[in-house]
Amino acid sequence: MTSKAMFPKLLPSAAGLVRRIFLSSRPLSSSSAASLATAELSSPLTNSVDADEEGIITMKGVRISGRPIYLDMQATTPVDPRVVDAMLPFYLSRFGNPHSRTHLYGWESEEAVESARTQVAALVGANPKEIFFTSGATESNNISVKGVMRFYRDKKRHVVTTQTEHKCVLDSCRHLQQEGFDVTYLPVRSDGLVDLERLASAIRPDTGLVSVMAVNNEIGVVQPLEEIGKICKEKGVPFHTDAAQALGKIPIDVERMGIGLMSLSGHKIYGPKGVGALYLRRRPRIRVEPQMSGGGQERGIRSGTVPTPLVVGFGKACEVAMKEMEYDGRRIAALQERLLKGIREKLDRVVVNGSIEHRYAGNLNLSFAFVEGESLLMGLQAVAISSGSACTSASLEPSYVLRALGVDEDMAHTSIRFGIGRFTTEAEIDNTIELIVHTVKKLREMSPLYELDKEGVDIKSVKWSQH
Amino acid sequence: MAASASAMVVTSRAELLSLFRSLLRTASKFSDFNIREYARRRTIDGFRENRHLSDPASVAAAFADGNSQLDIARRQVLVYSLYAPNVKSVMEIKYK
Repeated sequence: MTSKAMFPKLLPSAAGLVRRIFLSSRPLSSSSAASLATAELSSPLTNSVDADEEGIITMKGVRISGRPIYLDMQATTPVDPRVVDAMLPFYLSRFGNPHSRTHLYGWESEEAVESARTQVAALVGANPKEIFFTSGATESNNISVKGVMRFYRDKKRHVVTTQTEHKCVLDSCRHLQQEGFDVTYLPVRSDGLVDLERLASAIRPDTGLVSVMAVNNEIGVVQPLEEIGKICKEKGVPFHTDAAQALGKIPIDVERMGIGLMSLSGHKIYGPKGVGALYLRRRPRIRVEPQMSGGGQERGIRSGTVPTPLVVGFGKACEVAMKEMEYDGRRIAALQERLLKGIREKLDRVVVNGSIEHRYAGNLNLSFAFVEGESLLMGLQAVAISSGSACTSASLEPSYVLRALGVDEDMAHTSIRFGIGRFTTEAEIDNTIELIVHTVKKLREMSPLYELDKEGVDIKSVKWSQH
Repeated sequence: MAASASAMVVTSRAELLSLFRSLLRTASKFSDFNIREYARRRTIDGFRENRHLSDPASVAAAFADGNSQLDIARRQVLVYSLYAPNVKSVMEIKYK
C-alpha cells in the first residue's frame, strides 16, 4: 500500500540522514534530525521495547537506564561484524538453495557452503568431509549420543558420561535408558575434572560411547581431552565431546585428542544462532543412525536444506576465531584476572567454583557467601549476567553442575557466572566490579547470617529452632 | 617466487599511515559501544604487532588484509547504524 509507494523515496532520504548523523559528532539527542531519523528509520524491533525517556528502557516491569554491560558469553555471543558482512549477501541476491543442481543460484550457494565446511574443518584439524552442518550443538549432541548407540544397538548397550554434562547430553542418555541401554554418569572431582582412572574402569566390553564435554558451560572447566581420547582409543570406544564452549577458544585437534565425534555451535563463537556442526570421524569410520528423515542432505546424516547464510556465517566465525584465538585469549585472560582481583580486593568470602588452573578464562563462576544469587542479579540491572546456564536459570533449584562438584547447597545458591568475550572492555570490567561490590555489601548488611559469621560463629553448628 | 616478490610494489609509509587513520576513523563511527571499542583496539594492536615486519611481501600482505578489513568496517558501520537501538549502552550514558 502506501508503504510500498513510499519506499523508493524513503531510501535516498534515509541514506542522506545517515550520512548527516555520522558527520555530526554530536549525540543524537537534541537535534531535530534525530527525531526525524527515528521516525523514519525506526526498525520493527524497537516497538517491543518501550523506550519512553532518553536512556530508559522499561521491559518486564523493570526500568533499566541504558543497555546493560553484557557478561553472559556462555549463553550466547554477539555476532562479529565480519560475520554479518559475510552473511548478508546470502540473505539478499544470493538466496539459492545449495542443493539446486541446475542453475547459478544453487551453484554459488553450494560453493559458499563447501568453503564454510573447509573453514570449520580447519579450526579443528579435520577433513571437510567429516563436518556435517546441523541446527546447533544440541542437535549434534542428540545425533552423537542416540545415533551411535542406536546404530550399534546389537552389540553395544552401555554409555559412559559425566554428571556435569550439558542438559541435552544428559537428556539423550535418559532417553537411551528408557530404550533399555545402560548409562554410567561419572562423578567429577571437586575441581570439576573427571577422574581418568574412574573413567577407564567404567568402560565395559559393551560400551558404545564415551561422552565428555570439552569446556563446561557453567564453570568453564577444561577436561583433559587428550588423555580421555587415549583411553578411548586403547579400549576401542568412540569418544564424543561437546565442544560448543571450547571451539575457537582453546586449540582443538581431533587427531591429537583422539576425538571420534564432536558437537560444535555457531553462536558461541560470535557466529549466528541456529547453526552448528557435527564432526564425525571417517577413519576408523564411526556411523550414526540419522534422526531426521528426508532428502538425504549432508550425506544422509542430517536431511533438510542447509541454511546457506547461517553456514557461511559459522564458517566465517571459525576463520576469524582461528586468526584471533591467541589475541582474544591473551586479552580475556587479563580481563578475568582483573575482575577476580578487583572483587577479591574488596570482598571477603568469595569462592571460585571449579578449577582455576584448568579453566577457560572467559568463564568465571563465583560464589558470594551469604548472598542469594538471584537477589544479587535483581539488584544488578546494569550488568547482564546469570546465575548458571540459561537453560536452568529459570528454576530456583541450585545448579546440578555445582552440586556434582560437591558445593554446599547454600553456596550453590550464591553462584554467579561471568562470561568475558572478544568485545568486553576494561572499563566494563571495572564498572562491573564496582557494581558487584556495592550490591554484595548492601545485601550482606541485611544478612543476619553474615553478621553471625563475622562474629566467628560457625553457621553449620547453629541449631535452628522452629517456632 | 623471489622474482614475484621483488616485482611487488613496496608499500610506502604514507600509505600505511593513511590506512591506519582510515581504520581508526571508521572504527569511531560504529554506533555500538563494544564494536566501536573493539575496532579501535584491534586496529592499534594489529599495527603494533606488525610493526617489525620488514619483508616487503609480508608488509604488502598485511596492507592488503588491512584494506579488506577497512572495506568490511565501512559497510558494517552503515548496517549497524540502520538498526541501532534507541537506547545506548550504560557505558556511554553513565560512565562517560
